[in-house]
Amino acid sequence: MSALRRFRAMDLFRFNSVNLDRFTETYDLSFYLSYLSQWPDLFTLAESADGRMMAYLMGKVEGEGADWHGHVTALTVAPECRRLGLARGLMSGLEDASEKTHDCYFVDLFVRPSNAAAVRLYEELGYIVYRQVLEYYIGDGVMPTENAYDMRKAMPRDTHRRSVVPLERPITVEELLGG
Amino acid sequence: MEALQLRPIYDALDRTDMRRALAECERVLRKHASHYGARALKTFVLAKTGQTSEALALGQSLLDTPAALASQHVQQGLSMAYRVLGRPDDEIAVYTGALAAAPESVVLRSKIYLAAARSLRFKEQHLAAVELAKRCRGQRTLWWLVVALLLCATSAPRDAPTTAVQLALAERTAAKALAEGQLTTLEELRVYLDVLEAQGKRAEMLAAMGADAGLAAMVLRDPDLVTKRIALMRQTGAHEDAARAAVAALDARDNWADYVHYIGAVAALCLDSDAACEPSSAAWANLQRWAAEPGRARSAKLAAVALAAELHADGRRQAAGAVPAPEVCIWDYVDGFRHKAICYTDIMQYIVGHVRSAPDGEARVAVAARLDEQLGPRLLAAREAAGRGADAAQAWISLERIRYLLQALRGETGAAAWAADVVPLLAFGLESKEARKKQPACSDAVLIAAQRLIQAAFFAHGAAGRSGQLAAALFCVVCVLEAGIRLNDNTPLLKLYAVRLYLYLSCYDRARAIYDTLRVKHIQHDTLAHIIAGQGVALGCHMPDLELCYDGVAFYDMARAKIPRELEAAYQNGTYSNVRDFIEFQDNLAHAMQRECTHRLALRAEALAHASAKDILANWADADARSIAHTDESLAALHDNRDLAVMGLLTPPDMLPWNLELLTRPAPLPGAPWIRAFSLVPQIMHYIVAADVDAADARAAELAALLAEAGDALSPQDALFARGICAVAAVYSRASSKSESIDAHLDALVELVRGRLPDEQLGEPDSADALGDLALRAIRDAAAATELFAYAVILKHALAAQRLPAAAPAGLALGELRKAGLRAANALRGWADKRLRAHIDAHWIASGDDALLYLVCSKHKQSVDLATKACVTSWQRSAKGLLAQWEQLSL
Repeated sequence: MSALRRFRAMDLFRFNSVNLDRFTETYDLSFYLSYLSQWPDLFTLAESADGRMMAYLMGKVEGEGADWHGHVTALTVAPECRRLGLARGLMSGLEDASEKTHDCYFVDLFVRPSNAAAVRLYEELGYIVYRQVLEYYIGDGVMPTENAYDMRKAMPRDTHRRSVVPLERPITVEELLGG
Repeated sequence: MEALQLRPIYDALDRTDMRRALAECERVLRKHASHYGARALKTFVLAKTGQTSEALALGQSLLDTPAALASQHVQQGLSMAYRVLGRPDDEIAVYTGALAAAPESVVLRSKIYLAAARSLRFKEQHLAAVELAKRCRGQRTLWWLVVALLLCATSAPRDAPTTAVQLALAERTAAKALAEGQLTTLEELRVYLDVLEAQGKRAEMLAAMGADAGLAAMVLRDPDLVTKRIALMRQTGAHEDAARAAVAALDARDNWADYVHYIGAVAALCLDSDAACEPSSAAWANLQRWAAEPGRARSAKLAAVALAAELHADGRRQAAGAVPAPEVCIWDYVDGFRHKAICYTDIMQYIVGHVRSAPDGEARVAVAARLDEQLGPRLLAAREAAGRGADAAQAWISLERIRYLLQALRGETGAAAWAADVVPLLAFGLESKEARKKQPACSDAVLIAAQRLIQAAFFAHGAAGRSGQLAAALFCVVCVLEAGIRLNDNTPLLKLYAVRLYLYLSCYDRARAIYDTLRVKHIQHDTLAHIIAGQGVALGCHMPDLELCYDGVAFYDMARAKIPRELEAAYQNGTYSNVRDFIEFQDNLAHAMQRECTHRLALRAEALAHASAKDILANWADADARSIAHTDESLAALHDNRDLAVMGLLTPPDMLPWNLELLTRPAPLPGAPWIRAFSLVPQIMHYIVAADVDAADARAAELAALLAEAGDALSPQDALFARGICAVAAVYSRASSKSESIDAHLDALVELVRGRLPDEQLGEPDSADALGDLALRAIRDAAAATELFAYAVILKHALAAQRLPAAAPAGLALGELRKAGLRAANALRGWADKRLRAHIDAHWIASGDDALLYLVCSKHKQSVDLATKACVTSWQRSAKGLLAQWEQLSL
């Protein structure tokens, strides 16, 4: 079991149980604090019965018009806390907030195609591969350079489900950043 | 026009080309010498490029010119400059000066508010909020005022006369906002709740959460507030309401925090009634109902354990009703979820609580033994079934963890009992087909085996005088850990234990290499660097340690610059609930124990950098000795952010003989005595070089008093070093008085250093103890002696520079000492180069437990080779570093 609550800056002092896993990136302080100051309700954590951090999700909302959407920036689960449904629970919280609080059209996320377990989880949660972004992940000595799947799930506001019609060709990072 | 003239400067600043920006400023100022905007931007460039005094002078000239402050370019350039310079009062003065030209400016008053907020000047923040509120009646202004009042009140002493007034005013303002429809976000509600909570008004907090339907609906969507509401009900004695609200919350969402409150409320209801077991029966039924829902069994069954523990505690048995005894629930939970890796973390506190609920030590051992009996058959069956898939393997590991805990709770101190059954764990963790598939349970098996072996090693050989056997046993564990890491590189816990054991064996190089693979960075410098920082200095490897310290120092500098910006963003974004959290976070970093240690460690390593006598004296004379001084109050205000729990303990931290985090520390964790000692050392040396005898004597007396009190808070080597610095100060004191002889004190200092040098005849240590002594003590002693000699050399330079007659005898004595030091360091290096490998083979690899050695040495020869080479290379590096120090510390 886990207690779900908002992430707080003070939690940064004790998130090593999650972040020591080499696939989890530890970002600069500003990165975490800016998410807390802009989207506090979308940065949530799960902690165990004895108060240890088990998992957290950083999210945000962005875009304009029909592109207004929730975004999963980071979702990570401590190694010993996998296969407990924590990722599902945290994703459910983000989708709930994206739909009911922020009235988004869809929720999206980027994932490495090689992370088969994560891709499978997102597919089970109703996400589809909307497009591929070429060489989105740059090799850092631990993880290789890799394309990204941009996966999406439509929210009820997108009544015609236009946000989840897959693109036919992959795009480049420049095209992604160019909007 | 002005903007056009300044454009090239702004362009250069956008490109962060400071040299170009400065040139553009000069160009404008050549044509228009009094151009305010150019002067302000030049102030900023000077501040950014470290030309502080020039920036301050130029900035002050603008501050003294009221007309200049009316310019937006001046306001922007100068305020940014003062932010860079860390002078918030001056920044506020810029905006306050600008108000003379625009007294009604809301923008300027907002800037004053934010400047005060960033720099935690709550009084100025409050005053700015009041002025803003007079001129602008917006929702944001209103909540800025409430936040400012709350901060003023909560930062003041509890009994300050203004606190109650400020909180009452904040409450009134927030209540009015609620009544007028200006409380529309959960962030605003949270601030209101904070204001009420600061006054202990819990009933009012509950009322505010349900003040209107829209707000209540938002609260119900927020897990934190749902839990807070239930907690408030309990705190106000409304246990029935709390239980009802918890059931509603748990029907909607699985959240452990709500289970905890539910159980607390039920327990309170049961205690309140005479014989009533109705609430407990209802709770039990609810838990069974939730347990039957998909994906909720784990929470509900653990909640059942918690409920049983609560209701079966002394004096409540009558209330337990249908709720089974805790042991029944514990095993029900374990049997259901042992295939999950989290099982042990979940259940540990309940097992510990259950055992400790027994009245005395004997009874506790009996409870633990009973649990152990119940564990036995389960463990045997699980071990046999471990090869039947990931779940079965994990189930075995969970039970092994419980077994470890029960042994500790029984007070087991027999080494054999701790080392028993390690071989099957290692066979599974390193040899099985599951291990080759990198199943997580296999790494866990290796870790448990390693923990058992460490525990056994300390119980068998931890007593003084058995260093050979202890080092040999720990080396064997290092080999096991290396094999585990080799099999699965993504195993941070194995790496952490390997780092600790290598450091314990004085092997800095390999410890550092493994630590680097953990990619510790940013905030982790504060929480994890304690694992390795300072060990390089203690082992003669100064430069790598200095690099590590500089990374930490850079992190703290960066944090100091960045957090205020994020604090401002919280105000701008209206996410007020972050404000107090960010302030606490900032305070924890600014006053982090790790920050102080990192700074002192950097000073220690820097002090060993080589330079001419003249440069060394100049550095110590210029050293800012006062700023690092600490008082009892400032030490008490330090925060310990170090993440000790990350070591993955299998027993609670208070079970000292079974606490591996504590056992495997190569030296005591630096704390207040350490920080104070290593603050006094640079001060003493500064005053010696500055010829201030009284100040040096006073600090030395403080250090001596600290040493007398420190006990085990300092490592033997740190205590030796501190004693040596007292001796250095004593020599200087006598040398300065001219009428007293320095001989006795000089002899004492020399003897202190000489006594810790390696034996010059070091050649053939023919026992495991000699090797163990080298690993566990001798290298550290040699490093401390070398460091102390470096400070003695500074003393000699100071005596000579001050033309004190004692310089000559000191020079002679230290010259002799240097020769001895060189011989000893040479002997150490020669021995490390030629003999180490053979001795490790003979005394460590050939001396361990047969079955274990067979497994490790025969099947994981590469890991054993790696560990052996790591020890040899690390010790060689230490010996080389120490020899280089002695060679370069010339008189």
